[in-house]
Amino acid sequence: MSDARPVTLLIAALGGEGGGVLTDWIVTAAESLGLPVQSTSIPGVAQRTGATTYYVEIFPVPYADLGGKRPVLSLAPGIGDVDMVVASELMEAGRAIANGFVTRDRTLLVSSTSRVYLTVEKMAMGDGRYDPERLAKAVEQSAKDHLLFDMEAAAKQSGAIVSAVMLGAIAGSGRLPVPVEAFEAAIRHDGKAVESNLSGFRAGLSAARDQLPAALRRSGKRPAKPTLANLEAEAAATPEAARAFVTEGVRRLAAYQDLPYARLYLDRLKPIAEADARSGMNGKLLSETARHLAVRMSFEDVIRVAEAKIAPARFCRIESEIAAKDQPYVITEFLKPGIEELCQVLPPRLARAILRVAEKRGWLGTVYFGMELKTTTVWGYLRFWTLAKLKRFRPKSFRFQEEQAVIVGWLALVSHSSRLSGELALEVAECARLIKGYGDTWKRGMANYRALEGRVISPALAGRIPLRVGIDAIASARTAALVDPDGESLTRALAAIEQQVAMPLAAE
Amino acid sequence: MAERSFRKEVEALKLGDGETFRGEGILAVTKALLQSGVAYVGGYQGAPVSHLLDVLVDAEDIMAELGVHLETCANEASAAAMLGASINYPLRGAVTWKSIVGTNVAADALSNLSSPGVIGGALIIIGEDYGEGASVIQERSYAYAMKSSIWLLDPRPDLPTIVRMVEKGFELSESSHAPVMLELRVRACHVTGSFTAKDNRASAASGLNRIETPARFDYAKLAHPPLTFAQEKLKVDERLPAAQAFAREHKLNEFFDGDLKDLGIVVLGGLTNTVLRALERLGLADNFGNTRIPIYCLNLAYPLIPDELKAFCVGKTDVLIVEEGFPDYIEQSVNTELRRADIQTRIHGKGALPKAGEYTAEVMLRGLANFVRDAKPAGLDAATIVAKADALTGHKGAAAAAVGDLPPRPPNFCTGCPERPVFAALKLTQRDIGATHISADIGCHSFATFAPFSMGNSILGYGMSLASAAAVAPNMQRRPISIMGDGGFWHNGLITGVASNLFNKNDGVLIVMQNGYTSATGQQYMPSSVASRQGSAPGMDVESTLRSFGVKWLRTVRTYSVATMVKTLKEAMRTAETGLKVIIADGECQLARQRRVRAEDAVKLKVGERVVRVKFGVDDEICTGDHSCIRLSGCPSLTVKPSPDPLRSDPVASVIESCVGCGLCGEVAHAAVLCPSFYRAELVQNPTWWDRALHRVRRVVISWLAPREVAA
Repeated sequence: MSDARPVTLLIAALGGEGGGVLTDWIVTAAESLGLPVQSTSIPGVAQRTGATTYYVEIFPVPYADLGGKRPVLSLAPGIGDVDMVVASELMEAGRAIANGFVTRDRTLLVSSTSRVYLTVEKMAMGDGRYDPERLAKAVEQSAKDHLLFDMEAAAKQSGAIVSAVMLGAIAGSGRLPVPVEAFEAAIRHDGKAVESNLSGFRAGLSAARDQLPAALRRSGKRPAKPTLANLEAEAAATPEAARAFVTEGVRRLAAYQDLPYARLYLDRLKPIAEADARSGMNGKLLSETARHLAVRMSFEDVIRVAEAKIAPARFCRIESEIAAKDQPYVITEFLKPGIEELCQVLPPRLARAILRVAEKRGWLGTVYFGMELKTTTVWGYLRFWTLAKLKRFRPKSFRFQEEQAVIVGWLALVSHSSRLSGELALEVAECARLIKGYGDTWKRGMANYRALEGRVISPALAGRIPLRVGIDAIASARTAALVDPDGESLTRALAAIEQQVAMPLAAE
Repeated sequence: MAERSFRKEVEALKLGDGETFRGEGILAVTKALLQSGVAYVGGYQGAPVSHLLDVLVDAEDIMAELGVHLETCANEASAAAMLGASINYPLRGAVTWKSIVGTNVAADALSNLSSPGVIGGALIIIGEDYGEGASVIQERSYAYAMKSSIWLLDPRPDLPTIVRMVEKGFELSESSHAPVMLELRVRACHVTGSFTAKDNRASAASGLNRIETPARFDYAKLAHPPLTFAQEKLKVDERLPAAQAFAREHKLNEFFDGDLKDLGIVVLGGLTNTVLRALERLGLADNFGNTRIPIYCLNLAYPLIPDELKAFCVGKTDVLIVEEGFPDYIEQSVNTELRRADIQTRIHGKGALPKAGEYTAEVMLRGLANFVRDAKPAGLDAATIVAKADALTGHKGAAAAAVGDLPPRPPNFCTGCPERPVFAALKLTQRDIGATHISADIGCHSFATFAPFSMGNSILGYGMSLASAAAVAPNMQRRPISIMGDGGFWHNGLITGVASNLFNKNDGVLIVMQNGYTSATGQQYMPSSVASRQGSAPGMDVESTLRSFGVKWLRTVRTYSVATMVKTLKEAMRTAETGLKVIIADGECQLARQRRVRAEDAVKLKVGERVVRVKFGVDDEICTGDHSCIRLSGCPSLTVKPSPDPLRSDPVASVIESCVGCGLCGEVAHAAVLCPSFYRAELVQNPTWWDRALHRVRRVVISWLAPREVAA
């Protein structure tokens, strides 16, 4: 009996997820068996969506058998002293590992595969998400046993809070000296949302018992619909590595504009395919260029936005999102076009004239037309409908012509650079991802692209930057451009590149 | 009503003799107060003792039966001053606050209280906000105890001990005529456990049995010269020995004997469990507190009891002092006492253990191993102990490397928080007028110091933002902006900041976040709340108060109106008008609002009344994954998901189910000229016939126009 040690459980969660309730259930269940139990937590401001933990110790021998002795229980989890870690989120499981609470000799780690992204992950201008593979691998390497499953999905399916699913997983693991029925009784004893919590509990329980593999994530990708054109056959004839992107590109551009536009896409890719083969890139250059070219050619103008806003599939999606079962609903769109956006759809001459006047009067970047339009009302719908109908005239519009010029320039750079090196060409092709978005975002992206073109790509093509340095410089400048919206990183990166290039010259 | 309700839990406060109490540390403290016969209680909220005040408020009925007066004070200074009742009258009283910060605010009253001393037991329950989960400066409250001759209890974190220390604390206070502090660390406040209850006791004199005659004038009860000189001597010559005698007699400190007689550990009560667990893991103790190394556990942290200490140390070669934080007050005192007594025991402390930082399990394992290694006691193989400690902690480096460099997850504004839009507006304003010095404050709005806003150049304390910009403003080309919550405004900011600014005819811009509660501590009521614990509104108002103080430039802006806020901020920054410019950013705390609205809506839904549910969304094929919207919001409900576009790799923005439809997404999309991806969906539940008819007509007309094919 004196050999008995407390069984220790660390719960890693986010503030506001009901970790306190979960802890209470466990304490109630253990108390009902007469076991010495203690829980602690660190609420405070951590409750506001910050990372927080709850800690429970249960002594496996009931008070009745201890002869008046009281075990000393620890208030905080100890490094290497945790039997079970349950995390409601994958990165928090990682945090428990990094803190040394998960060990190969004893810890069972149960974690959700779902992620609640940190602000710093979400706010990146590109993709700032932490590598989930790395976290999952750390779980496998660090724990004695582990169970990963999507607790968020399980909670949603059962209509419960995630802590009920966690309790089920704890009960099902059998690691605590508390039988499943005692946990169930604790939920009933608590008396709040008993049915939904029990259903969440059972979901966690079966996950723990069946050793579910990590839930397969659906890709969530929505490919464009096939076209009936023979263009598809042509796309299918491209090298294997690029085929999927080229096919998707053809379909998208056919829907975005028309078949000739999709034809243009294929024609534009021809020299790239040759460049790819010539520089031995095994389809990689073609594939990436095909991907970016399709995105660049289907640029986001007001016509495209209008079309997307009134697409029947969109209404279906929103209906399911807000769970509208036959109930009336209203959708309000937030638009705030400036003069430049309005000029996009005008013929180039007229647009340029208006922009000249606007610039002179200081209207650019200051005059906007804020609108809240309802696509569910007839009048609101009609306005988008009318805009979408301008599609026919798109090839004659100012924005279209401007975009084509940039695209042609970019493709020429890719082709040109492929003569020096396939890798260089790939880096140049990747720069297309800088241009995206609307309004200020688009302007900033375009300015960054121009800066890269003028200060790194062109000098590299002209031989003023050594090839190896040039390839790295383009990649690092592109990354820097996506670090902060104020362009500080890019400015620093470009200055560093220019200094690096200037130095050997100075030394000569 | 505060965020967390203890209505159910407070029932445990009614338990009588011999019944078993089960619950959290702070609830146990409340029960102990009632068992001690307090006449009055009060305090100011702040983690980790916010809930203590919440419990007191929820237990007001129970306390009223005992005649206990409850005061939810405007700040810690007013709570400390409450204890003045125990100077002249035999009334037991207890107040509570977060330390170190609350003790700093209370310091003036504490000095003036402890100089004349008390005749009724005066107990201060401080939440020692130190280590993991702490939100304040890492300093020790111990310094206050020493300088003011306030005795400091630091009970072993075990409910029976905590309860006993509360009860003994009043007796200690009365027998030595000094106020007593009882400190609970973060986890001790929330530790669950059980103890055997006693009957509650009513105070002899209380609201139910009022004192007939006021105390006679007695100059000795005033902290006023020349008596202050005599009082200083009283503290040292009479009160200190009296406290030490009481502690000895009532065995406030505990001894755990062990067979390794050459060694000893002197540990603060609150850290005892950490030491015992570490000893157990090193094979030097069992799970019931039977240790091989003798332990002297200081439930009374200040003052030391020299006789007990000497008796413990004499004959030992090496003793380890376990006290968290800096300076090492106890280690210094122990060294002094032993030197005076010419006892040659070597004292280990800071050195074996780190000088600063929390004593976690890892730190303790290594500290104990260092101690044994340095002491080299007979009968123990030190190398084995060191090897054990290494084995228990050595895996951490590799584990951390496997996970990689995880960014921290700090707290954030809640979904729909009314304060977030103000910082979105501030960010947009700065984009136009250039960066400004931001004088930040304590409260939820300090979350703006984290991403995506990363705003705030200094934080000087609760309600101190405007005062801390006083010397910045005259040295800057552009006006600094001070931010203060309404909680901080009433706590301190009105006088320290506003009055001082107006008195000096300073320039400046102040934003007062008016959300109606002290939100960060759990939405307690404060002077300008729409309700109070008694029901009706307290009737104080930020705007009219500022006007009566003489603020001329004053605007109240709804926080969610980002464009208006931007305009108002620019005006405040650019106006030629000198003097203080105040913007009241008005928006009710969303947590409190949701708690209310959800309940109301549930009732409406049940009885079939019309309810409109609002949620925002992002069109994922229109979003290009730049995340400008997130950089201006940081809302937990606005997140990212993989792009549905097979050709794009950057994740797109997404609004998840927890959205409360506050409207910020739309406002920001407009004010910042972002992308057209955002939409607002309003679903009508329990629709009227008109709602249905209108919807049907619209759908029919739209279906005539609808395109046959889905757009790209």
